[in-house]
Parts: sequence; C-alpha cells; structure tokens
Amino acid sequence: MTARSLPPSVIATLPGGHYTDENIFALEQTRIFESMWFCVARASDLGKPGAFRTVQVGRESVLVTRARDDSIRAFLNVCRHRGARIRTEESGEVKRAFQCPYHAWTYDLEGKLIAAPNLTKMPDLDRVEYGLVNVAVREWMGYVWVCLADEPPSFEVDVIGEATVRLGDERAIESYDIANLAVGRRIVYDVRANWKLIVENFMECYHCATIHPELTEVLPEFADGYAAQSFVGHGAEFGEEIRGFTVDGSAGVDRIPGVGEEQDRRYYAITIKPQVFVNLVPDHVIWHRMFPLAADRTIVECDWLFLKDVVDAGTDLGPSVELFHRVNEQDFAACERCQPAMSSRAYAQGGVLVPSEHHIGAFHDWVINRLGAGSG
Amino acid sequence: MIPVCPLANLPRGEAHRLDVDPPIAVFHTEDGEIYAVDDTCTHQDASLSDGWLEGCEIECPLHASSFDLRTGRPSSPPAKLPLRTHRVVVSDDTVYVVPSEEPPNLPPGVRAGTV
Ligand code: FES
Ligand code: FES
Ligand SMILES: [Fe+2]
Repeated sequence: MTARSLPPSVIATLPGGHYTDENIFALEQTRIFESMWFCVARASDLGKPGAFRTVQVGRESVLVTRARDDSIRAFLNVCRHRGARIRTEESGEVKRAFQCPYHAWTYDLEGKLIAAPNLTKMPDLDRVEYGLVNVAVREWMGYVWVCLADEPPSFEVDVIGEATVRLGDERAIESYDIANLAVGRRIVYDVRANWKLIVENFMECYHCATIHPELTEVLPEFADGYAAQSFVGHGAEFGEEIRGFTVDGSAGVDRIPGVGEEQDRRYYAITIKPQVFVNLVPDHVIWHRMFPLAADRTIVECDWLFLKDVVDAGTDLGPSVELFHRVNEQDFAACERCQPAMSSRAYAQGGVLVPSEHHIGAFHDWVINRLGAGSG
Repeated sequence: MIPVCPLANLPRGEAHRLDVDPPIAVFHTEDGEIYAVDDTCTHQDASLSDGWLEGCEIECPLHASSFDLRTGRPSSPPAKLPLRTHRVVVSDDTVYVVPSEEPPNLPPGVRAGTV
C-alpha cells in the first residue's frame, strides 16, 4: 500500500483494487478459504446417511455427506477417473453410493471406490487410494466445518477461540445450546459484492442509525455508531419498551433456557473469520455462512435457529425472522452500492475508517498478512 | 467341487468372490441361505460381489439391475440375460461350489479365458 498522509482521526481502508482484482481474490481463495476452517452446512441438512450437499470452498467444489456410521464426511467433488463432477446439484440424497455419471465409477459414502466397469481386471488399483479425496471435517455448534489444507490449523484456536474471545468466555456461547436448536428459517442471499465488504459491514455500526431503522429501534444504543463488536463481552441492550428481538419490538418466542439473566434482553454479535457471523439474542440465534464465489460475488446463507419445540409447534417466527432479514437486505444493498465504486479512480487508494471503525483495520492487517503468508 | 472358504469367513450379508474363470460370487443372505452365481453382471463387466444384497436379490453396483440369486434372472433392466447359478455345498464347515456346465452369459467384450 502506498503510504498516505491522513488526519489522525481516520485510518486507511484497503485500496479499491483489493475488492476487484481477480488475482487478489485467487490468493484469498488459496491462502484463506482453502487453508482455514470453513463452515459449510448445518448438520441437520444432512439428515441421514446418503444425504449430501455440494458447496464451494475457495476454488473447490466440496461434496459433504453423512456415512452409514452417521459420521459426516467431505470429499473434493471430482471423480478420480477422468475428473467429472460427481454431483452438480446443491443438495440431494443417494441411496448407498455416489456414482460418477460419466463411466460409472462408484464410491461408497466413505469415499472408497467400490465398483467400476472392468474393475476386477485392474486388481492393482487400490480402492482407497483411488477413492474420492477426503477433506477434514469437524462438527461444532451443530454446524459442519471443513478444511481443505493438508494439515488443518487448530480448530480449537481458530474457530472456538475466535468465538470465545469476542464474548469473553467459552460458557457465554455454550449457554445458547446452539447445537440443539432447530433451523426455523433459512434465507440465501446472492450478494454482488466482495466478501470483505460484507465482513467490514458486519463489524461496524456506524451505518446502523442510517440504514437500519428497525434494528436501531430495538437496540437504541446502536444509534451512537459504536459496534457491539468493538467491546469484548458487551451485548447491546434492548430498548426499554421493547419486548423481544422482533421487527416491531413485539414479544419474541420462548427464551433459550440456558440464557442467563446477564444475557437476557441483550444482543451479541460474533465474527468467526473468515466467513461466519453469529448473532445471539435470548430466544434465537442468527447464523450466517458466506461463500465467496468471485471478487464481486458472495452467497450468504443465513439460518434462524430457535428451540426445537418452538419450531415443531409451528409458532409464528415471522416477526423474529423479519427483523434480521431486513437488516441483511439493508446491509447487502449497502455492500452492493460500494462494489462498483471499488474500481473507481476516486477509490484507487481506498477510503478511510472513522474512530468507531478503527477495529476494522485489524481485519485488513489480518487479510494482508494471510496473503503474504507462504502457503499457510 | 471347488472349496470357497470356511463358513465362518462368510457371515450373513456378505459376499465372497471366487477367482475362477469366469469368477463366481458366493452370497450368504441375511436369512442364512448361501447362493452362488457368476460374479460378472450380464450387462457390463461389473463384479456382483461388490453389489448390494437384499433378501435373495443382488443389485449390480453399476446400473442397478437386480438378479434373483435362486434363478439368476434379472428382475429389472438394463441387464437382460440371466446369470448362471451354481450349486452350493456346505460340509465340515466349509463352503464349496459345483460349477455349472452351462455356457455363461458374459457381457460384451468379456470372454471366459481372458482373465
Ligand atoms: S470420469 Fe468419472 S467414471 Fe469416468
Ligand atoms: S453392469 Fe450390471 S447393470 Fe450394468
Ligand atoms: Fe448493518
């Protein structure tokens, strides 16, 4: 970055090119998305053996499934024969095996090659070696995380640690019992913006009073522009006359039993780099997973998680879902408004971060560091 | 009569591929019956011992034709021709097969004696 002289109250953002350059995006794919733990699916999306999802992680398509022993497995979605994609649909279910549609090489749910035309004539072809390429899998909070690195970094440090640091201690997130909540609603957003614009947006609340009228009504302290994320352990408090985290401040649904008095009537936000955002409120959890597809395109899958009983009873979740759905639409519209300007001459050196956004500078440093890192 | 394996090595639900020419697949069903048929699917060169055993039917792992192990007949396409069946003898806790004298229905491009 070219050094710019800036007045002391502001610091520089990344230059515009970091949001548009395909080469930088390619580096981010290898050094961030293909090197770190990446949250791909809700474990309940894979309800039984043979259920699968295909997801984009960095440059790779990954096939995630549940094996006979109920464990979750993930493979590169590439046939070991001549490279056909094993599955192209986003989700589905196979009865007992994955079969390549080209020459019918057939793999069991653990990825082992179990059948192929003339396979018995090739006894030297090891069925595990020529099975689908496995990638590392972890389950945490009811979500499935994969890591494409040959030697995955510590999940405890990178994922659990990241979530915990923000909230101050590990029990704070445990009290929401996220693993046992049920998906009440899922909305998928196709956002025409670079993934970093979305992260930056999520990290600050300088924009809240301007673009989030409903949210600011529920969380009045957001009007002062200081993001909940800049203070460890701080949860934004509901307004006095607000009865629940809903679009109109009406009462929400049943509170998650583990949520203590100190967490009641508060909103917490966590970023788990590089692609997960979590919001915690007393009666639900909002969990975002980003899938960066191109320098200017990111898919965001957002789940609203509630107590299983609440979902099973067919409770009206509308007012709860609507609040953050509007926030998402408002935020993503703002990101899409920035994206085309990232290649402007006016933004060649980037913009500035005001004091309530200074912590985003740490995110920028982190990205630059990763891009500079060897193969890590 | 060809020895296949000790009975103890062929638990229920499992298959054993006998490397004769053409190969023979021996199945021990969940109900405790033992059947032997040609291992090679009559549709294409796939090994039925890699297939899925359900009741006394074996489903081909490649294109899902099922064969009745008692008669060798396919119950669903794309395979059209039946498998040869072979007599099974269990004696002294060992499984044996008596290979059929019939000509096999091998798929195109597969001939006995080319293994
Ligand atoms: S490419 Fe998959 S079987 Fe040939
Ligand atoms: S090879 Fe058996 S059905 Fe095609
Ligand atoms: Fe926002």
